[in-house]
Amino acid sequence: MQEITERIATCVELGKISKTTPFPPHMKGQDGADEIAAEALKNGVHPDALLAGCMQGMERIGKQYSENLVFVPNLLMSAAAMNAVMKHLKPYLESGALKRKGTFIIGTVAGDLHDLGKNLVAMTIKGGGFEVIDLGVDCSTEKFLNAIAQHPDCSVGLSALLTTTLINMEKSVQAIKKAHPSVKVLIGGAPVTDNYCRQIGADFYSANPQGAVEFLNKNKNI
Amino acid sequence: MSIPGLTLIAESINDSVPSTHVLFEENNLQGIVELARFQAEKGAAYIDVNVGLRTPAFMAEVVQKIQQHISLPLSIDTPDPEMAAAALEVYDRARSGDPIPILNSISEARLEMFDLYQKHPFIPILLATEGKDEFGGIKMNKTAAETHATARSIVHIARQRVEGLSNDKIIIDPGIMPIGSDSTGNFRRLMNAMQLIHQDSDLAGVNMSVGLSNFTVMLPPQKADGSAVKGPLESAFLTMAMPLGLNTIVGSVKRKYALLPPDHPAMQCLTDVLNLEGMEIIMRVMSYIS
Repeated sequence: MQEITERIATCVELGKISKTTPFPPHMKGQDGADEIAAEALKNGVHPDALLAGCMQGMERIGKQYSENLVFVPNLLMSAAAMNAVMKHLKPYLESGALKRKGTFIIGTVAGDLHDLGKNLVAMTIKGGGFEVIDLGVDCSTEKFLNAIAQHPDCSVGLSALLTTTLINMEKSVQAIKKAHPSVKVLIGGAPVTDNYCRQIGADFYSANPQGAVEFLNKNKNI
Repeated sequence: MSIPGLTLIAESINDSVPSTHVLFEENNLQGIVELARFQAEKGAAYIDVNVGLRTPAFMAEVVQKIQQHISLPLSIDTPDPEMAAAALEVYDRARSGDPIPILNSISEARLEMFDLYQKHPFIPILLATEGKDEFGGIKMNKTAAETHATARSIVHIARQRVEGLSNDKIIIDPGIMPIGSDSTGNFRRLMNAMQLIHQDSDLAGVNMSVGLSNFTVMLPPQKADGSAVKGPLESAFLTMAMPLGLNTIVGSVKRKYALLPPDHPAMQCLTDVLNLEGMEIIMRVMSYIS
């Protein structure tokens, strides 16, 4: 079981999606996350071992990314490898046989159509073992509040890339904290700073996705 | 900066550049002037000025300060009509030999910027990246046809708002996205959109511009063998985009832009990307930067 976890973790870390994908070059022709996950489940390996592999692989790549040792394409390849495993785990997650750590709701704030940063955070948090509900871009405060009402134990992430939409981030954060004081609110995006986080009453700002995972691990609302 | 027919709007005076942000935070306008001077000496045609979320008065002060020392025309970079108005109010055309400034930028979501034109003419950069959806909200254009339609639409609006505005006094920004995360084929959308705009007789003579540094953002600066990653990819982009009408960039004066031969690895990478989908694009970029 530990061997399967490590093999999955390695595939996720290195972005080896399947046997047919040529990346990384030194693993060309080898089984990838897709085949290893399918074979493991067929042989009766508990899905927990696969989910643990995803989490370990994403944690490794997330740390390397936060240290500028790897770059966005690496993170995207890792997320694709993780998704190749998650596809096999979906029935177990839906039946409740496999549990996630908690729920994380994420969206880009009103007036802002940028989604890259949000997507990178969403995939890293998903890889951290959380269920991620992605509300998309240009999210009104009402959209955040409605989603939180359906998942009251969640944490929430708001993203903004434009300085002009920071004001909407502030409005949404304050409305969320007023309606749901116990919900942890994380913010991020190019113009966002730690100071701004404190100023608008959010709980956490991270300059990289892995920081958000580490915060959620310490502050799980479950 | 040595490609004939390519106009460079120098990008460094922008609050999103960390070292420039520090200059603004410290109110070090002399440092800003030095940055403008450096970019002017390195071949910029315009100096972009973006002061972030500061006051219109501060924007006006920065514009005045730069113009006291530098004679190049400026590109006023703000989505805020009040800030644009403040900058244009103090802008001294005589100081730059009479060329009008660029206003970067106007989208269909902020058309009120055109109201400033009559008093203080400018060359508008018109965003074709976002259009109106069926409910009147804004949407990011996802196809070349949508980008082209927004370009046509916003140029028509510009003509209605500004009497006598000719195509050669308009810059269209068709939107460039990072190639390192392009799993949705945005590069292909951009190239096809530029081709549609370039071939549209109604848009004949318009200028086209992109923020070129965005193309390689989030990629490593060097390959494992120490060779550069970003410069060649940006040059490959220019080589492919200039025949489609791109003639202006917001970019870096430090970059040695050049037109590349078809067999250059960066050209081969981008040519391949045009024919790939989804994660195959990411893998091709990974193979280039590895």
